[in-house]
Amino acid sequence: MLAKASPVYLSDLRPDFRPFEINCGTIPAYRYSGSLAKELEAGTITPSEAVALFEDMLIVRELEEMIVKLRSGGYEPLPGYDYRGPTHVSAGQEATAVGACSALSIRDNITSTHRGHGESLAKGTTAIRAMTLEQLKQRVPNCTATTREELVEAALEEHLYRTICELFGKEDGYCKGRGGSMHIADFTVGHLGANAIVGGGVPIATGAAMAIRYLRQDSVVCCFAGDGAFANGVVLESLNWACQAQFTNELAGEHKFGLPIIYLIVNNQYGMTHRTRNEVMGVDYLARRGAGFANNNMHAEVVNGMDVLAVRDAVRRAARLCREGAGPVLLDVHTYRYWGHSLSDPRIEYRTKEEEAAWKAVDPIETFKKQLLECGVLDRAGIEAIELRVRERNKRAALRAAAAADPDPKDVIKYMYTHTKCEVVPPEFRNPKLVGPPPVAKRTDGQITYRDAIREAIVEEMIRDARVILYGEDVAEYGGAFKLTKGLLEAFGRDRVFNTPISEACICGTAVGAAMKGLRPVVELMYMDFALMASDQIGNQAAKWHYMSGAQIEVPLVIRASVGAGKGYGGQHSQTLESIFCHIPGLYVVYPSTPYDAKGLMKAAIRDNNPVLYVESQALYGLKGFVPEGEYLVPLGVADVKREGKDLTFVAWGPAVHDCLKAAERLQSERGVSAEVIDIRCLVPLDVDTIVRSVQKTGRCIVASQAVHIGSYTAEIASTIQELAFDYLDAPVKRVGAKNGIAPQSHVLEAAFLPCVDDLLNAAYEIL
Amino acid sequence: MPTPITMPKFGQMTEESTIVEWRKKEGDKVAKGDVLFTVETDKSVMDVEAFTEGILLKIVVPAGVAVPVQTVVGYIGQPGEPVPVTEVPKFGKPVPSVASTVSPPVVPTTARAVPQPAPVAAEVQPLQPVTVPHAPVAAPVFRISPRAEALARECAIDPTKITGTGPNGRILERDVRAYLDARGYHNLRITPAALELARKQKVDVLEVRGTGAGGRITVADIQRALAERPKPMSKMRQVIAQRLTQSFTTQPHFYVTVSVDMTELIAFREGLKAAGAPFTVTDFIAQAVVLTLQEFPVVNSSTDGKNVRWHSHVNLGIAVSVEGGLVVPVIHMAEELTFLDLCMRAKQLVEKARAGKLTPEEMSGGTFTITNMGMLNVESFHPIINTGEGAILAVASTLKQPAVRNDQIVIRSLMKMTLAADHRLIDGALAANFINAIKAKLEDIELWKRLTSW
Ligand SMILES: Cc1ncc(C[n+]2csc(CCOP(=O)(O)OP(=O)(O)O)c2C)c(N)n1
Ligand SMILES: [Mg+2]
Repeated sequence: MLAKASPVYLSDLRPDFRPFEINCGTIPAYRYSGSLAKELEAGTITPSEAVALFEDMLIVRELEEMIVKLRSGGYEPLPGYDYRGPTHVSAGQEATAVGACSALSIRDNITSTHRGHGESLAKGTTAIRAMTLEQLKQRVPNCTATTREELVEAALEEHLYRTICELFGKEDGYCKGRGGSMHIADFTVGHLGANAIVGGGVPIATGAAMAIRYLRQDSVVCCFAGDGAFANGVVLESLNWACQAQFTNELAGEHKFGLPIIYLIVNNQYGMTHRTRNEVMGVDYLARRGAGFANNNMHAEVVNGMDVLAVRDAVRRAARLCREGAGPVLLDVHTYRYWGHSLSDPRIEYRTKEEEAAWKAVDPIETFKKQLLECGVLDRAGIEAIELRVRERNKRAALRAAAAADPDPKDVIKYMYTHTKCEVVPPEFRNPKLVGPPPVAKRTDGQITYRDAIREAIVEEMIRDARVILYGEDVAEYGGAFKLTKGLLEAFGRDRVFNTPISEACICGTAVGAAMKGLRPVVELMYMDFALMASDQIGNQAAKWHYMSGAQIEVPLVIRASVGAGKGYGGQHSQTLESIFCHIPGLYVVYPSTPYDAKGLMKAAIRDNNPVLYVESQALYGLKGFVPEGEYLVPLGVADVKREGKDLTFVAWGPAVHDCLKAAERLQSERGVSAEVIDIRCLVPLDVDTIVRSVQKTGRCIVASQAVHIGSYTAEIASTIQELAFDYLDAPVKRVGAKNGIAPQSHVLEAAFLPCVDDLLNAAYEIL
Repeated sequence: MPTPITMPKFGQMTEESTIVEWRKKEGDKVAKGDVLFTVETDKSVMDVEAFTEGILLKIVVPAGVAVPVQTVVGYIGQPGEPVPVTEVPKFGKPVPSVASTVSPPVVPTTARAVPQPAPVAAEVQPLQPVTVPHAPVAAPVFRISPRAEALARECAIDPTKITGTGPNGRILERDVRAYLDARGYHNLRITPAALELARKQKVDVLEVRGTGAGGRITVADIQRALAERPKPMSKMRQVIAQRLTQSFTTQPHFYVTVSVDMTELIAFREGLKAAGAPFTVTDFIAQAVVLTLQEFPVVNSSTDGKNVRWHSHVNLGIAVSVEGGLVVPVIHMAEELTFLDLCMRAKQLVEKARAGKLTPEEMSGGTFTITNMGMLNVESFHPIINTGEGAILAVASTLKQPAVRNDQIVIRSLMKMTLAADHRLIDGALAANFINAIKAKLEDIELWKRLTSW
């Protein structure tokens, strides 16, 4: 991997207030003027490609109709089958899904939505049709057929089977029945996942495009999202993110390359039931949004989403732009959802029968069927044969799926975490070339600060593995709000170290997408308080995708969050919030208290294949301690006994560890009490053994942190102790934390708010 | 609304009862008068019938669980009606108060809630998301830390003897250790098997004397300790204990004894017996007592220490010893009965008592009791008044004794009777007159001739 170009950029912007006008240009709508006949004549489509488009749309329609019928008990092959999942069917939208996927290659990626059966099926069918014989054989290893036609047929049926299994929650589903309709994903064909959080997949798609850009791959991402989703903050943040000038201007050095991503608005005119146009939007065409984010309007177009060829054409052109580095592209594809939001929505409250009839008159399948007949690509018998084949294939797959094995209940939390880590860096990512000398921490007596220790860990890991990249707000030239990343831009270049828009949700969400595409991002959230801006991306996306995908994908990333308590910064810059994230299974949460642990844990976190929330304390940044130069790891989930004792156990993390050590000193000198101090270092996974062993010895325990009392993770630890070591307790387990309040600005109040050594001593006296 | 079925209160002494058997299952149809379940009270086994008809929707209290009277034990209602969630009061819960003839009735659990006065608005305080509970003001409780308790368990000692030095007097590990040292626990010699058994059976090894070699505590020692361990008394004995303790501690007793010359009465009775009449000696005494009580209404009364209640009827209790205890069937309105009826009624009740078939009504409401140990060869004895009554008459064995008649020593059949009287009601002279009046009747053959001539 080559990274060149000196990264540091000094702005020299002058005031210029001469009057002028901003020209937003124009945005074309429905510019496709082709037809099947014209395309056949022009050789831009072959008859068999046309037949495939037709069949793929039928496949989607058949599956959606199956769901509708299952709900009413009318799907003949499965009478009375109890389908329990969502019914967000996309009938009517087939041309959008199939047209778009047919314009993508197998290497290209998609993200999809809660109404994503069409896109998921189409990404699979189009990929299967494009597979080599070898790829097909791999896909259906049990199929004995040898001809391409038979293998494709087997793969299509298998695709339907695994899709329906997923909808039915079966172990054979793409996500082993863990994800279901709204989280279906097939990473083998580049489907990075549907998303039940409206807009939630958009930053993930954006991050995937960042990874493709960074890895110089020749692929694009097509990010499907509804018209309703385009009101969501994280979606608009993603558009802004994707259009950053630094990807294409001189800051990008020799790699001026726009993000290769197509934001495809599946504009079916409605959110759940609200009209987007004329009700909850101020523009008539969402394509206009493009003008808000990029000078080139993001090449935005309005597309006829009922015409499979128009969609195919638009996505082909968009993909070409992306592959040329001219992305991102915004496509506002107009289509229509025949059914309601779900089958519990009767539609009559908000739209007319006439409206539905008008859209059905331009039904994508019927209109395309007509063209196929007119062009003589298929005759009636040919059409009927395909229709029958689709119906029969769906039936066979559904019958098999209904009879397939359920997941084993004992595996209910299997796949919560991956147990792998990056032990060996693949050769192509080893020892990337640096653009400058990495920053070196100055050691005095082998000691460096907590801040330097974290930086040293990041530097070592970035030298070790080119997949490690670092971004966040103001982390580049400025070196971050706390100067922790100072010098990294100069060493690794803007390709790997860059400033981001102030968009915490995108910082975390893009990291998820980049991780899915093979990078190992380390992102900075500045203050931990801002993590709440990104709570969906941390809690619903990063934490959940390994499990929801049935362990298809790992999401190795590190989110650094800095705690600002004790500086008089008030309620929104002083919170210790790690407890919240401990309540979300799927994340690891670490919080070092010493420079030694800070380095070792950071290195372990970067190498771990689970998402890790790495909490730092601003109060500790200047703390000095012994830190070995070079390689060592502190394993995640192993507590450290920072002081041995026999009468009382302090269990703590973060800055509270130091208060506990001071309290232990005073207990010893003032009372002759010997206190043990355990630094858990990692909240999740928690080293329960070390804690319980200590409490068994001492019989008394105080759990301390800087978190406010209510809902603090200290309570989780205290309850675990009473559960596992009840008979060893000689006193109730005490908890010490901040008051149940909001961090005040006033120095006097903040001192009263935060826990202190005296609080620990008082707690100790109460139980000694 | 389903109708709750409550545990009936059988007789006034019943505080707690156990359902022996449900005769209906949940879901069974119930008609008015159907037997729902059988109950064992302190004294007997009874059938309980349904007052309403419907479906037995739920059995709240299963068979075998003792619950206070008035507890809801089940619900009858229409099919599908929701049944309120009820908690079964635990066995052994403190019973409201000791019920006796003078205690107020137990308030049924269905009593309406008394409206509480609205709390006086205090100074306006911000709402606290979590409030620290106030230390409950409660009777001193035994507090011990889990660790200390585990150590005590491990050592097989009784921790209740240890003084706690922790907060609120909680016994901590250090207290257990100090106690062990003070009691010389570490010099104790005990076999591993004995220690194991002691732990399991919760025998305090510090209280066991070792009889093994060198004073070692063996399994046999622990077993001996186990055998000596207090066990709960039978329900009947507990009732006896409670009632007699109440009487003996609240009713000041004093005693007067007379010797009755039964020679003639015995001869008279032999004659009757030969003629086929059923009278026993006790019957004569009972009849004499019934007659005398009518002459001395003060004796046929009861008091709570403030008020005195004269009973208009003589409800005569006759103590009958039964397997494992004592019951006192009552002959209600004995003054209304002829001597023969009295005799027959007594016989019937004694048989029922021996068979355990007395109803609660047949065991309650007494105003005076006779206790006869005549067949047990005693010269005299001092009885305890049956709770709530004014006096009791103890009848001892009739023994041939030298007696002075007309300045001659002659052999007579003498029987001592002792009256135990509640001094709050009865003074010495009254007691003396009363008992002598009985004696006079028993020695008056003419009276008996009148009473037995029909
Ligand atoms: C963050 C979030 N908010 C709300 C919902 C509930 N919800 C599910 S689908 C939907 C409408 C989405 O509209 P659109 O993006 O146009 O997609 P469509 O349903 O039309 O395909 C809503 C509000 C959700 N799943 N996620
Ligand atoms: Mg929509």
